[in-house]
Amino acid sequence: MTVTREQVWTALGEVFDPENGMSIVELGLVYGIDIHDDAVHVTMTFTTAGCPLHASITDWVRQAIKRIPGVETVDVRLTFDPLWTPERIRPIPDRTR
Amino acid sequence: MLPLSYLGAAAAAFVAAMVALPWLAPELNGHYYHPRVLALTHAITLGWITMSILGASYQLIPIVLQRPLWSERLARWQLGVLLIGVTGMIAHFWIGTWPALASAAALVGLGAGMHVVNVVLSLRDFDRWTFTARLVVLGHVGLSFTVVFGFALALNHLWPLLPGAFFPTLHAHIHLALAWWIAPMLMGVSARVYPMFLLAPEPHGWPGRMQLWGLAVGAPVLVTGLVAAPGLIAPGAAALAAAAAGHVVWVISMARGRKRPGLDWGLRFVLAAAGFLPLGTVLGLALAFDLLSGPRVALAYAVLVLGGWASLSIVGMMLKIVPFLVWYRVYSPQVGRTQVPTLAALGWPAAEATAWVLLTGGILALALATASGRVDFIAVPGVALATGALAFAASLGHAVLHLVRRPSIRATETEALAR
Repeated sequence: MTVTREQVWTALGEVFDPENGMSIVELGLVYGIDIHDDAVHVTMTFTTAGCPLHASITDWVRQAIKRIPGVETVDVRLTFDPLWTPERIRPIPDRTR
Repeated sequence: MLPLSYLGAAAAAFVAAMVALPWLAPELNGHYYHPRVLALTHAITLGWITMSILGASYQLIPIVLQRPLWSERLARWQLGVLLIGVTGMIAHFWIGTWPALASAAALVGLGAGMHVVNVVLSLRDFDRWTFTARLVVLGHVGLSFTVVFGFALALNHLWPLLPGAFFPTLHAHIHLALAWWIAPMLMGVSARVYPMFLLAPEPHGWPGRMQLWGLAVGAPVLVTGLVAAPGLIAPGAAALAAAAAGHVVWVISMARGRKRPGLDWGLRFVLAAAGFLPLGTVLGLALAFDLLSGPRVALAYAVLVLGGWASLSIVGMMLKIVPFLVWYRVYSPQVGRTQVPTLAALGWPAAEATAWVLLTGGILALALATASGRVDFIAVPGVALATGALAFAASLGHAVLHLVRRPSIRATETEALAR
């Protein structure tokens, strides 16, 4: 079963930052998605380095993507380059990247 | 649970202090150096503000400084020491018993020393000297000086040891606490957490330098002026006013640049708090430049700065931090496995709105009433503040209740964290 980028963006759109109630996609925390067969690699950041939800959100991302039929492995890579800024917030996510 | 324990103790001290206000109206109408006014002041500065800062430190130091606390065990022992010491100080101020007061002050000094050691050891090999990190260090230098001055004042009641006049030393102690402990910690932490709460750009530029240098230089200059060289009082006060102005400019810029769609009550509290700082600063400058004088104006100044700016900032941050800590502990592990309430659902907006109206209005009215010198004028805002503090406590209790029982989740309170 082929995993699509649309499925991964949809799954990530259901992972919320509990503090502000926005999804990590709306917040612009997801920098990129790579799909190789049944493996999904997500490159993402946090609103601040040392975010107390760092481990939890990473875990929620893995869980959300693993629920997609056909996904076997999920690799979440964290980066702070470039640093997140509020300009990355986008109410309507661009799911074509 | 460590930050929650400190924040719980702090909230209890705040409620106790505010509930006592209506009964202290006659004392507040007189000179501020009255045993019960001193008990009230220390319930606010030590029991409420300092315990809040310590509790928040243990939650925020890993975020702000990006490194773990050196010893949680030391912080737990410190909580016990401080609870006994602060309660003892407030009780003995209340009944005016000086030998026991000095013993309790020694315990507070021990607790403060434990905290300073913990922070210093947490900062070993630290090399990310951001604005916040510099102010956190400055704040802990200020805490040390404040405690030493306070302990000297307590001992001075038993064995006169202070070389200068008593009141200038007392004023120096108050301004060390305000400008070298409370202000650096609030300004430093707010520069880091307000952008997170508001989804605003990180503040930068000259307002930061005004805050840092204004506090670092202004407080020792003012204190030296108070105890030894009166000519330094005005320049010290001017430097502190510059720091306050820098902070207000930053808060306004963050509020204007925010991407967060709506303001919750916690954020409304911190923004209202910033509005009290210019009022308190103008009054402080008027006192420093001898345009105004007297204990009533001094008390109004303390109400605006400690009650308006510091306390409302802390109330706002607590309304954000406490529900988050509870949610994180109770519901975070369940996300993705079962339906969980949103973080917002742990709050109680009606109670928070009530607290906002009564506390902001009450503090403004109390400042005016203390300046006017009418007992009945002081009692009315005292009742408003007591009621507001209870509403604040009810809101925190609504969140904390989730630690002991998990209320049934209504469909409208759930989010799509779990499918």
